Amino acid sequence: MLQCIFLLSDSGEVILEKQLTGHRVDRSICNWFWDHTNSQPNSYKQQPVIASPTHYLFQVCREGITFLACTQVEMPPLMAIEFLCRVADVINGYLGGLNEDSIKDNFVIVYELLDEMIDNGFPLTTEPNILQEMIAPPNIVSKVLSVVTGNSSNVSDTLPGSTASCVPWRTADPKYANNEVYVDLVEQMDATINRDGVLVKCEINGEVQVNSHITGLPDLTLSFANPSILDDVRFHPCVRFRPWESNQILSFVPPDGQFKLMNYRVRKLKSTPIYVKPQLTSDGGICRLNVMVGMRNDPGKTVDSVNVQFQLPPCILSADLTSTHGTVNILSNKTCTWSIGRIPKDKAPSMSGTLVLETGLERLHVFPTFQVDFRIMGVALSGLQIDKLDLKTVPYRFYKGFRALTRAGEFEVRS
Amino acid sequence: MAPPPPQSNRSPSPSQPSGKSEVSDLKLQLRQLAGSRAPGTDDSKRDLFKKVISNMTIGIDVSSLFGEMVMCSATSDIVLKKMCYLYVGNYAKVNPDLALLTINFLQRDCKDQDPMIRGLALRSLCSLRVANLVEYLVGPLGSGLKDNNSYVRTVAVIGVLKLYHISATTCIDADFPETLKHLMLNDQDTQVVANCLSALQEIWTLESTTSEEAARERENLHSKPYVYYFLNRIKEFSEWAQCLVMELVAKYIPSDNSEIFDIMNLLEDRLQHANGAVVLATTKVFLHLTLSMADVHQQVYERIKAPLLTQVSSGSPEQSYAILSHLHLLVMRAPYIFSSDYKHFYCQYNEPSYVKKLKLEMLTAVANESNTYEIVTELCEYAANVDIPIARESIRAVGKIALQQYDVNAIVDRLLQFLEMEKDYVTSEALVLVKDLLRKYPQWSQDCIAVVGNISSNNVQEPKAKAALIWMLGEYSQDMHDAPYVLESLVENWDEEHSAEVRLHLLTAVMKCFFKRPPETQKALGAALAAGLADFHQDVHDRALFYYRLLQYNVSVAESVVNPPKQAVSVFADTQSSEVKDRIFDEFNSLSVVYQKPSYMFTDKEHRGTLEFSDELGNLSINAETGDSVVPAQRVEENDKDLLLSTTEKDDVRDPGSNGSAYNAPSYNGSAPSATSQPLADLAFSSTGATGQAPAPGLAIDDLLGLDFSVGTATTPSPPPLTLNPKAVLDPGTFQQKWRQLPISLSEEYSLSPLGIASLVTPNALLRHMQSHSIQCIASGGQSPNFKFFFFAQKAEEASIYLVECIINTSSAKSQIKIKADDQSSSQAFSTLFQSALSKFGLP
Repeated sequence: MLQCIFLLSDSGEVILEKQLTGHRVDRSICNWFWDHTNSQPNSYKQQPVIASPTHYLFQVCREGITFLACTQVEMPPLMAIEFLCRVADVINGYLGGLNEDSIKDNFVIVYELLDEMIDNGFPLTTEPNILQEMIAPPNIVSKVLSVVTGNSSNVSDTLPGSTASCVPWRTADPKYANNEVYVDLVEQMDATINRDGVLVKCEINGEVQVNSHITGLPDLTLSFANPSILDDVRFHPCVRFRPWESNQILSFVPPDGQFKLMNYRVRKLKSTPIYVKPQLTSDGGICRLNVMVGMRNDPGKTVDSVNVQFQLPPCILSADLTSTHGTVNILSNKTCTWSIGRIPKDKAPSMSGTLVLETGLERLHVFPTFQVDFRIMGVALSGLQIDKLDLKTVPYRFYKGFRALTRAGEFEVRS
Repeated sequence: MAPPPPQSNRSPSPSQPSGKSEVSDLKLQLRQLAGSRAPGTDDSKRDLFKKVISNMTIGIDVSSLFGEMVMCSATSDIVLKKMCYLYVGNYAKVNPDLALLTINFLQRDCKDQDPMIRGLALRSLCSLRVANLVEYLVGPLGSGLKDNNSYVRTVAVIGVLKLYHISATTCIDADFPETLKHLMLNDQDTQVVANCLSALQEIWTLESTTSEEAARERENLHSKPYVYYFLNRIKEFSEWAQCLVMELVAKYIPSDNSEIFDIMNLLEDRLQHANGAVVLATTKVFLHLTLSMADVHQQVYERIKAPLLTQVSSGSPEQSYAILSHLHLLVMRAPYIFSSDYKHFYCQYNEPSYVKKLKLEMLTAVANESNTYEIVTELCEYAANVDIPIARESIRAVGKIALQQYDVNAIVDRLLQFLEMEKDYVTSEALVLVKDLLRKYPQWSQDCIAVVGNISSNNVQEPKAKAALIWMLGEYSQDMHDAPYVLESLVENWDEEHSAEVRLHLLTAVMKCFFKRPPETQKALGAALAAGLADFHQDVHDRALFYYRLLQYNVSVAESVVNPPKQAVSVFADTQSSEVKDRIFDEFNSLSVVYQKPSYMFTDKEHRGTLEFSDELGNLSINAETGDSVVPAQRVEENDKDLLLSTTEKDDVRDPGSNGSAYNAPSYNGSAPSATSQPLADLAFSSTGATGQAPAPGLAIDDLLGLDFSVGTATTPSPPPLTLNPKAVLDPGTFQQKWRQLPISLSEEYSLSPLGIASLVTPNALLRHMQSHSIQCIASGGQSPNFKFFFFAQKAEEASIYLVECIINTSSAKSQIKIKADDQSSSQAFSTLFQSALSKFGLP
């Protein structure tokens, strides 16, 4: 079980320390950790599990903050990592972003949260809904409220009803004037395209995000028009397994507010919405680069925020790149970004120019990988469609809203 | 929450100039507020407390404010209380006297109306961890366990565990474990139940060393009623508690198959859980339950594949890594199941190197006839990667696939393309691979040599690559037109060659070249021998001297020593023995998997015990693999004389040695040992077990040396009933040799008595029993429910030996026996004897 949790800043300073058991872990372990990670090559710096001479360390890095947990006993590593991820998510949610200053300003809240999330090294309550009932977040609303009501404590007076309820993720009895449920399909497309333009791998990882504000204890059912396309799914604990197994219907009592209802994966997609075609020809110490971007299969909605990024190989001395559409930026660390924005309907944008190679080098041997970013509102590219959403057990009328969004995940084009 | 810095650090350092004065400032202000009841006091207190705590957090010692903080703690404001608890919890241990001051208000808070305050106060009270205050804990804990609010009860249960760690006797005297047991089985709230389970597991485990009852209780937790009780409520538990329950279920041994299927059906939906820790814990249960059913076990792999792959692609990089490490283990165990999912192991550009490395290994493992081409194509893409270590790894992966695959044609072409890429690290890796490839597929020499011949030795700098190139120059000097001249120029630069490995190879290569093309090489050989004799490195010097004397003695003898005809290598040695891999598998869902080492190899020294040899084992086999073609053979010689090595090590080392060098006697069949020695390597030969069997340690050493083989001399064969020599001795080496040579004369399956099964908690119990029936054990291993033994026995008054492999599965109460015998005609009689001995096991 975990013995201690540290929060470290991006300069290795201990922002916060939470001892969990009687075996006090000395702060010097952080120095060891920091020296160790800095002695590693860059791509090994964030190795999640490290063995120090005295402890096993787990680290999770978010926005420059390192969440470091120590243990001396054998334990499931994923449990520690998963827990640290939750801690990061919860603190992020509470403070509206993670940075050193916000943690230092609110460290009492962070201590309180850790106190409820883990006791004696074993995780307890990590459901954000429930935690918010025990410890009010330090937002402006609650500050205003506290001025009005004169209650300046950010701890709610009573224990959340749900700690005793049979639906541990839901507040016992929320009340709303407008009952509403929003369901979002958010999909990420991971694709790898090789230098011949062949789609090596293409799959979609999607999430069904639900934001529910319904009075009482609602029982919702959500069904898809084409559930058979899903290759694998995983659910929030509120989803009942049997209805899904027999009829592919999601039946659940939702937590109050925003939550992730399910994740899914769709494999073996045949095409991508846009194409990116890089061409590199080198001769006599000069390399000509030409990249074309365009629509391949029009998804019916506009493709937005298109961005192509790549790392110039170290052997390149200088680069001169221009584009017909959008802007090209080359940073000092040789990262080149071409921001296209929206792809125009009439003409495919292109970027071209020359790269000057190191003296003595005739041809380019290391080829950059182009990472592509895009966003399409209103379409779930996997083709998954929500059929209907019904509310049982509560006799209210309620408003339903559906949205979809697809964006590029690890979308890479090799050259 | 820093520990108070030592005295020397307390002097104000330049970075914290205000430290000390600020603390005294705070002290003054707190004192003023302590008695005040004016409105707004709480707010100013809160600001002050925040300052104190922030000082504490950044590591300034504020323990001198203890008294003032306690004085200010009389408040109804819960945030103030929380900050105060935090402060007190941090400094109570160093200020035990002052901590007494806090007891009073904490005890009062434990009786507060608000359950939240009751819980928090109780938690703080138990976190003081001051030994002389334990008497104040018992009362509040007792009432906390009976509290009608579940929040307080959850806190109290963990409080009991904390109390146990401060003072075990107080905890036991107050009969808290019994109360927890009652709560665990009856409480409505599952979090209370889960906390009871984790607390009791810890308490009983620690107690079991001294108390029989605690040991029994702990065993009981794995019994059917308990496990079913938890399983029936599993869906009510929080996700973390579910992990805890799964750990328990994984240790449960179901009585029959239908029970196994019931449990799996019940838990199947857990594989769909959003929390990866739950998924992995469930996976472990599934894998362990089905170990004894091969076909179901395989179905389990198929079933868990998709959830694990989803977890990999949808989680954060840290989660992906943890899952991938486990997936890596599964892929290595059953690559064929994952061979159609190879695309999941393709590396993404942005992934950290440690993830890419795992993926590369998996890609190597899953390669088969149908996907090799695509995998190798993908790997070749990585060779042009900006990340040089990964580029190297991927070239090595291509090589490994080439060594294990059938369609070598295409791969060799790729490797040769690498050589033409003109990047030094690519060339280096490729050279090493081409060398290995030639050792396995000598038929490719023409194609490879043509390309290798074009590589200028000046462009190869890395010792390993240079050694490989030199080896090829020596080995194929008759085909490589300018080999003698290249070698000659290398010899000329002898002094600039810093690596002893390269110089050793150079000596050997020049020798080989000399045998094939004497006139051209003579000059180089002379120079090389002279330089070698003058070399400061002992090995180089010795080898040069050895060659020199050999040549002096007789050139043709020298050739037969230095360059005899070789067999192609069939299997390269594996760096990790399958015994180690099995152990890691047993520890699925633990740190062992991430480190790719069983826990005994990396947890504290005191846990290591007799199994320590396995550490050396890993090193040894790695050494043997990386060594050049001559060194392993020598090392094996040494190992054979090393009496203290256990049989597993010798077995492991001998294989790479004999395969790698192919210097063995012609009768030795290169491909046979790897297959037949497998069952032996599976086993854990504990060093105590190996020596403990022999009548006396002195005798055992004689045995290992092979000096004293049989005691009795051959007389007339004794007719049945068969009697066995009670003092039979056999050394492990002979055992292995015999096991390889002899055919199986009898293979049977017996049922075991329930009593026997019950007594078979550790392998050692059976050993002693069988010994009393004149059947000796040479090796044993395994964990409940699967045990494996190797026995031997000797006919009385005769040298005839019986060898037995015995696999016992305690959950099905079956044992599978394979008997091999020198004298096959009597093996049936022996089997009867063996069976009767086995059936008496466990009987009083």
